[in-house]
Amino acid sequence: MLSSTLILIFLSLCIGTGAWLIFLWAVKKGEFDDMEGPKYRMLDDDPVSPAEEDDHADDD
Amino acid sequence: MDRPLPQCDHCRLPIPPADLVTSEHDGKTLNFCCHGCHGVYQLIHGAGLEDFYRRRDWREAGINPGVFERDFDPAEVEPHIRHLNEQQAEIHLLLDGIRCASCVWLIEKVLLRTPGVVDARINYGTHRLRLRFNPQQTDAAGLCRRIARIGYLPRPHTADAVRDRARRQQRSTLIRFGTAAFLSMQLMGYSIALYAGFFQGMGSGSKQIIQLLAALVTTPVVFYCGWPFLNGAWRSLRNRMPNMDLLIALGVLTAYGYSLFAMTRGAEVYFDTAAMIVTLILLGRMLEESARHRAASGIDRLLNLAPQTATRIDGNSEQMVPSSSLHPGDLVLVAPGERFPVDGALAGGSTEIDESALTGEPLPVCKRPGDRISAGTLNLTTAVTLRVTCISEDSFIARIARLVEEAQARRAPIQVLADRVAALFVPLVVSLSLATFIGWWLIGGNPVAGMLNAVAVLVIACPCALGLATPTAVLVATGQAARRGILFRGGDILERTGRLDTVAFDKTGTLTLGVPQVVELLPWRCSSEELLLTAATVEAGSSHPIARGILAAARNRNLPIPLRGGARTIPGQGVAADGPDGEIRVGNRAFQPHQIPAEIVNHGQAASEVHVSKGARYLGCILLTDCLRPEAAEVVDQLHAMGLRTVMLTGDRETSARAIAKQVGIDEIHAGLTPQLKAAWLHQLKATGQQLMMVGDGINDAPALAEAEIGCAMDGSTDIALENSDLVLTRPDLRRLVEAIMLSRRGLAIIRQNLGWAFAYNLVALPLAAAGQLLPIVAAAAMAFSSVCVVGNSLRLARRGPLPPRTQHSPGKVPCSVQP
Repeated sequence: MLSSTLILIFLSLCIGTGAWLIFLWAVKKGEFDDMEGPKYRMLDDDPVSPAEEDDHADDD
Repeated sequence: MDRPLPQCDHCRLPIPPADLVTSEHDGKTLNFCCHGCHGVYQLIHGAGLEDFYRRRDWREAGINPGVFERDFDPAEVEPHIRHLNEQQAEIHLLLDGIRCASCVWLIEKVLLRTPGVVDARINYGTHRLRLRFNPQQTDAAGLCRRIARIGYLPRPHTADAVRDRARRQQRSTLIRFGTAAFLSMQLMGYSIALYAGFFQGMGSGSKQIIQLLAALVTTPVVFYCGWPFLNGAWRSLRNRMPNMDLLIALGVLTAYGYSLFAMTRGAEVYFDTAAMIVTLILLGRMLEESARHRAASGIDRLLNLAPQTATRIDGNSEQMVPSSSLHPGDLVLVAPGERFPVDGALAGGSTEIDESALTGEPLPVCKRPGDRISAGTLNLTTAVTLRVTCISEDSFIARIARLVEEAQARRAPIQVLADRVAALFVPLVVSLSLATFIGWWLIGGNPVAGMLNAVAVLVIACPCALGLATPTAVLVATGQAARRGILFRGGDILERTGRLDTVAFDKTGTLTLGVPQVVELLPWRCSSEELLLTAATVEAGSSHPIARGILAAARNRNLPIPLRGGARTIPGQGVAADGPDGEIRVGNRAFQPHQIPAEIVNHGQAASEVHVSKGARYLGCILLTDCLRPEAAEVVDQLHAMGLRTVMLTGDRETSARAIAKQVGIDEIHAGLTPQLKAAWLHQLKATGQQLMMVGDGINDAPALAEAEIGCAMDGSTDIALENSDLVLTRPDLRRLVEAIMLSRRGLAIIRQNLGWAFAYNLVALPLAAAGQLLPIVAAAAMAFSSVCVVGNSLRLARRGPLPPRTQHSPGKVPCSVQP
């Protein structure tokens, strides 16, 4: 009983730390610098940038 | 171009002869510039929406097209380029003219399709563009030109040290909060296990392990995330000024220290209290910081209105020099579409300038040789020379920026209420816990138990809910407000708005619509339709506000306005065009070749008269005025009913100010005020302890907005006014102001109740703690109950309360200017 609890706690800590590291990375990368724009950006009806087009070309 | 090219019937662009696409519709031949436009026309036509073509307005105001033809000198942009490596260089540009997300989309897409551009990213909030490009394939000046050609004005900009520091600070707060939130979530799991263990029993082994884990996750929360509070508490101790930081640090440290000690003795722990306080209060700090950040970027934008380079005339040659190197007495050339780099007096030529960025005044102002011109205003019609009167640091706009900065720095720190409570509460709690310790030692003869109970008093007294009381109420109230088009720039603003006792209004653009409208037609031996139509024909295509007023009136009467060019603008006088019946002249009295009949008299309060003549005939006069907002009088009335005093502060003349004040019923007016005087007047009133709100829209209101306890700006205000206001009404409707004040009054009441609840629960637990009878579960319950009560109470704000019902617009209401 106790050991299973411990494993779960350990697991939750690991997953949590993972999420925390991703958060740190996102802050450092500046993901949170613009809190207004992205909600409009997603409405752009034109997601295929030249770079992505190349990617699709590779898929074919 | 000798002969104008035919225009596309869809997009109105000239059609190059080779690209003409024609199509027959309802017996009419229509011209299109491409199959795309033809296709769109067919779609619109097919859906039965041809009305679109009649209704759409091509003469929308905007920046003079000449602005976008200006050239960018490589020397102007070069110093701002940062070379990353051989292949990449980076430049930061501040963009003028961004209004919505589509602008962002357009600029990014256009740039990304330009060869040599690696990356283009615009921050929508700050209008800053980060552009990475390959210097071997393209150059920065060319890219600037490209942006200008699609209708936005780039201004090179280097990130300075101050803003860098602010951004690092913002990021570090975000990381601290994120870390605290993550660890507190982990901690919550352990705390629930410990509570369950308290009731159901728990092996001492498991309990120790869980407590150890709890201690493990709490330690970084207290010492890393809570560092700003510990630091602030230390500073407040040294200054002998107990503040909120000290109360937080005291509670957090004692809860943490006591829990560590209790852990070694197998007693109950309070780690969750410590972590929760830190997390919640960090959240509040974070919101406050981002609001401040936005204000700072407003000052940037203001200072950047004046271009950094100027064309100096040295004898016979022209030379591009930095604006800061100009001295009084220098001659500067300013082309139409450029902003004036420094303050000066007009030396040669006369022109019309747009001062709206500075004053909010919509009408272009005519300037003649000798007139003073402020830096940052836009030259509209002709190239002029300017004699510099003061160095750029002392220009009007720089002085305003300095005033704004000063007022912002002087602004009282937030959470005044909590700080005041803390100043009283800290000494009280400390003396109570000391009394507990001494009591147990002297009476009970047990110093160890006394020590523990004294600490328990400290822990229980630090109200966890104090951290929640204000933020939750503020969160709910601001959310409610946002749904009604009212934006509060932070919780302290809500608090302070609730305590207002005086509201000061600017006149132009705030109490009035800021757009001249036709109020009366005085035709002379012709129909009023003919008068209006003749004026509209000549004014068509002009972006002058008076022209827009006349055109709007013509459209309201469904008069067909033919599109035609060839009108000549004579600065400060009017517009003339050649017609079949002779020259049409539309302009002021002096512009008319005819004797104006004595019957044509301006009886009312109209601010502008426009006289119209066609060839040898005088047609009459159109009267325009800047109308009052239809809701202004009602709003002033309601403010009075709420016990508020109203004042009008304006730079306008006393007589026109008095006329407006009489119509809306404002108590007190102060006319002829400069921006400095407005701010000084507010400062004086503030010194007497009055809580003031300033409502305004122009740059000239910015110092006053920053100086006032609460600055309020409406949609359509200048950028700097918006950035400097604490309260923004996102719809141009003054009634929101009344709603905002009512909502914040209710919010303030809720905050007071919350604080009451939070303290009441803790006060009940205090005697128990002092007596050594405090069961851990009672402590936990007190904390949880007070938090639940506080949150529940705050949620009451979300219900539709006794706010004034939205009154319908009266049918006669003049349509507001169309927002893009």
